[in-house]
Amino acid sequence: MPPLTYAYYPGCASQHMTKEASDSTRLVAKALGIVLRDMPKANCCGAGLLTDYDYELYLALNARIFAEAEAMGHDIMTICSTCLMVMSTANRDLKSDPARLEKTNAILKKAGLHYSGKVKVKQFLWVLAEDYGLEELKGEVVKPLDWLKVAPFYGCHSLRPSDALGVDDPMKPSSLDEVIKALGAEAVNYKGKTKCCGFQVDLVTEDTAVRMTGTRLLDGKSKGADCFVTPCPFCHVNLDNYQGMAEKKLSTKIDVPVFHLAQLVGLALGLSPDAIGLSRHLVSPEKILGEKIL
Amino acid sequence: MKIKFRIKRCDPMSRETCEPFVQGYDVEVTEGMTILDALLKIADEQDPSLSFRKSCRSAICGSCAMTINGFSRLACATQVMPEVKKFGEMEIEPLPNHTVLKDLVVDMNPFWEKLEKITPYLTPKEGAEKVCVLPEDLEAIGKSQQCIMCGCCNGECNALEIDKRYIAPAALAKAWRFVGDVREGNARRRLDKLSDEHGMWDCVRCVHCTQYCPKGVAPLKAIELLRSAAMKEGITDNHGAKHAVAMAESVKRVGRLDEAAMTFKTLGFLKSLGMIPFGLKMELHGKMPLPLVFAQINDIAEVRAIYEACERKKGKG
Repeated sequence: MPPLTYAYYPGCASQHMTKEASDSTRLVAKALGIVLRDMPKANCCGAGLLTDYDYELYLALNARIFAEAEAMGHDIMTICSTCLMVMSTANRDLKSDPARLEKTNAILKKAGLHYSGKVKVKQFLWVLAEDYGLEELKGEVVKPLDWLKVAPFYGCHSLRPSDALGVDDPMKPSSLDEVIKALGAEAVNYKGKTKCCGFQVDLVTEDTAVRMTGTRLLDGKSKGADCFVTPCPFCHVNLDNYQGMAEKKLSTKIDVPVFHLAQLVGLALGLSPDAIGLSRHLVSPEKILGEKIL
Repeated sequence: MKIKFRIKRCDPMSRETCEPFVQGYDVEVTEGMTILDALLKIADEQDPSLSFRKSCRSAICGSCAMTINGFSRLACATQVMPEVKKFGEMEIEPLPNHTVLKDLVVDMNPFWEKLEKITPYLTPKEGAEKVCVLPEDLEAIGKSQQCIMCGCCNGECNALEIDKRYIAPAALAKAWRFVGDVREGNARRRLDKLSDEHGMWDCVRCVHCTQYCPKGVAPLKAIELLRSAAMKEGITDNHGAKHAVAMAESVKRVGRLDEAAMTFKTLGFLKSLGMIPFGLKMELHGKMPLPLVFAQINDIAEVRAIYEACERKKGKG
């Protein structure tokens, strides 16, 4: 069977600020034999802001991303849930309405492009849980994380709106829980796992964003989690980078390390903490990994 | 089949039961039975002191919104059997983000106050001529007319969870119903007001409102349309609009999100200075975003051609 191959869309954040998410994804994909093909032309999906700015422009710019993947002959794999939601929503709107697709193609034509509506957009999380398979993933684990209690943080955009995403049930998601278990770790259950990290308003209403981040972290921690894992770099920005601010705002110590999904998988596959960029986190995971890994 | 209903109760007026507690009731359920049917059965046969709101029993009046197995839904439009099959249990709690008056009855006054804030009626221009409303005009305001004001969206809203002053999705969906109406004479004034603090730009885009609305109103879509309309009107002197405009400029310039430029353009010079200590902390871990000057995507000319085509269309519109 040919290897699983995707047009790889890391998203803007993971090309710089959360570079460790993309670097570790490439390493994990290589270790699992998943082929990721770069998309050198791909533009930003708009992160929801372009949807507000101009809906037609948003559709056309996302169709440009799909056109590149279509020309490559692959589905898109992204490691960002916001990119996933934004692209999937555009894809839903284009595929479900031929007139709209035609209108968008008339705009794309000005750029010499065309999208025929064949591409699927997938989250790395779904690639692991569905395309690659949990049993196969379990078979690749060399360092089971059986001493670790992990809070799965799905965030919003890998779950809702489910009519555009449609892999996990937003009321009862399981893919991230199942991946955590496949790595040998315990998945902690808590109410906030399907809620919002606050990222979208970081620069708009920082107070709401920071309080929200802190509330989610304290929720998972109170249920016994040693650490968090998220499939989204924007959730990571808030849960990790903003954790210090949340501690100040809520006047309490939180101190919970947060992993990108690929980093947690990488640890179980035996990749070194340096290779997967753990030193780039603001909240050090050293304390919980201790001698088990380091 | 007997199912145990675990219902969160509390009576703030009573000394004995003012702290919330969970009471279990075994209910004989049959196929097709709704949560509301079961609650009525409990009140009739076991415990008349159990309080909850209800009226039409057919998802029209919006009275019976509550938390069913963790999510805000209408008791009359949710069946017991599929719930038990999915969750293995029945946990009923009051609507979140609202103060409990007794058991499953919450105080809806803040909900109505938010709605009043958006002036929930048409205000045509003084002396306006008769306006013909075409089917496509109605389509523009679309589902925002279908709201039954049950409060499920506000119950699920994550921004409201953190900030009780936030205007919240129900009122915003209603606001679009009037802003988008061809007969409305004060759309600009409405959009100005909605752009204030705790207004439409505070939505965190968690998509809960759209996901859990029992009538398919899609408040997030209404929020997006309101924001678009405000920017089109040139109401951009606030962090939310500046953020969106900065994104549009960044993608046009380099094809990507330029985090440093976005921060600067959204917050302005002085507030950006305040971010420096945080930025330095980030830089210790190699994470401080630097302005993208030469980091264009390949074939950026295609992106600009798309912008041009859309701008020309908009100009014509």
